[in-house]
Amino acid sequence: MISSLASVLASLFAQAPTLEELNAKVDLDSLILLEVFYYFTVVVMWLIHVGFMAYEAGVARRKNVMSTAMKNILTIAVVTPSFYYFGWYIYGCFEHGGPAQGHAGPDPELPGFCGLTAPWSAGMGGNLESSLTGHLSLVFFLAFLLFSWTTGSIMSGALIERVRLSAYLILTVLLGSGVWIMDAAWGWSGGGWLTINYGFHDTIASLVVHGVAGAFTLGVLLNLGPRIGKYDIQGRARAFRPHNTHLTLMGLMLIFTGFYGFYAACLFIQSTVFPGWLNIYLSPTTLGTIAMVITVGFAGGFTGGWFASKGDPFWTLSGGLAGVISVSAGADVYHPSLAYLLSASGGMLAVWVGTYIERKLRVDDAVGAVSVHGFCGFYGVFLVGIFAGGYPTGLNNVPVSFGGQLMGMLAFFPLAFLPGYIVSWLLKKANLLRVPPEVELEGLDIAEFQQDFYPEYERVPEVVVLPTGEEVEAAPILLEEFARTNGHRAGEPAERR
Amino acid sequence: MIDSFPFDEWSEDITAFWTFGPENSTGTYVLTVLGVIVMIVSLIGWVWLENKKLTAQADLLRAAGGLPVPGGAPPGPGPSQPPMAGPSTDPGT
Repeated sequence: MISSLASVLASLFAQAPTLEELNAKVDLDSLILLEVFYYFTVVVMWLIHVGFMAYEAGVARRKNVMSTAMKNILTIAVVTPSFYYFGWYIYGCFEHGGPAQGHAGPDPELPGFCGLTAPWSAGMGGNLESSLTGHLSLVFFLAFLLFSWTTGSIMSGALIERVRLSAYLILTVLLGSGVWIMDAAWGWSGGGWLTINYGFHDTIASLVVHGVAGAFTLGVLLNLGPRIGKYDIQGRARAFRPHNTHLTLMGLMLIFTGFYGFYAACLFIQSTVFPGWLNIYLSPTTLGTIAMVITVGFAGGFTGGWFASKGDPFWTLSGGLAGVISVSAGADVYHPSLAYLLSASGGMLAVWVGTYIERKLRVDDAVGAVSVHGFCGFYGVFLVGIFAGGYPTGLNNVPVSFGGQLMGMLAFFPLAFLPGYIVSWLLKKANLLRVPPEVELEGLDIAEFQQDFYPEYERVPEVVVLPTGEEVEAAPILLEEFARTNGHRAGEPAERR
Repeated sequence: MIDSFPFDEWSEDITAFWTFGPENSTGTYVLTVLGVIVMIVSLIGWVWLENKKLTAQADLLRAAGGLPVPGGAPPGPGPSQPPMAGPSTDPGT
């Protein structure tokens, strides 16, 4: 009896894991939890792109619905491979401005982060080896890839109804796989030169995603020009009636839902390595902190947008987006009440700036991307310099300062604006930027797809809203504007011109 | 002929080349180069194909001697511009 009991006890002790084995299991569980966490942020972030597609397709006139939606869909087709082959390497290896020297990590058996980002590296293919190469590299890549799609989608809405699909695809490769990820390497990583030297702080990417995409878009819009009929002979703005406002509003709500995934993907946790949640600069925060800020940010932004636009539905919802973008840069440190106040101001400013851009600068931004994303992105970083000054940021714990934030703004505006302006200017000179005016007037869907995408519905006349607020049939106005901008009457045979 | 393929002899080499190969291997270099080529050719193809479509439609509209009323009934594709996507618009097919 005693001998059998002893043998049972002996076998139990023999099977009990050692402390080292338990540590290894906990490490693996922690790693897998992190991997799963990023995976599902990517799933939620897909909603941003569903939302952008619905939003922009709803804003477009009926004759341009599919050409608008196709831009959002093909963003995925071109940014994914270009970000895989070039973009991720830029993020991993350009933290100091230029390419890093050497790819080895502290452990000679493992490559450093830069070495894991090349498309031929162990970090970019399926393997079961280490925590870095087997678990983390690919999910990090996917989260950043979704951010890249977002930059393209921000631009796409502003250009609708006259840009060539192929021109947009070239521009979105440049923005999504080159421009934004370069600024992320500089100012949205623990070791970026703006972070470690100046304490630049933009936790949830107010500037590095939204502001930069807006500045790039502004450069493109200056070359693209307004849609035919957008401005009357006195330069006053007309408004095109969206073909489906409900679809637009639903799209915006989907974007908002996806933003929760976007916010979460900007944090980092690994319980066996760090004491809790960390922001992108590896400074402590919590998931609850940023969730509160994004939620009150929407509330404040809706409120500001509603009052500034006097209840306009489009600008009320865009105000929500503007509000969140305005507080994203400091979402890891703001008190919810502060976020509410700042986001309300952002929602209001987006409406006013958008109106100014449309009516005074006469830049035809079809969805207000330059004001909502561009202006509010820069505004958000500016606010951190005022309200979060002194907060330690980055691997060197450099305090946030207004000067450091200003340095980031001064570095990122030309980094974004100039490539957008120069490449769109080159496309314009090659006559590859804009569709022919006849096609624009008829609608892009017929030329691109040879179909009407609402065949079951009668085609009612297009409506345009005059600067006086009066709604009139669009056809005579558009034909007259066509004649004015093209130097001949619509439909005049080519040989007579 | 298929039976003569030396699967057993080459299987590990093939696996290492195309799938779970180590980093900086010939296989990963070849795949990267092929992928970059496909990506660039696709972009050029998008530009070329769209330019062809837009030019054809603009020529058709000019040759017709009159533009359709904006937002009016679509004229459909011309004879030089067959459908390139979606279901055929020709009821006879």
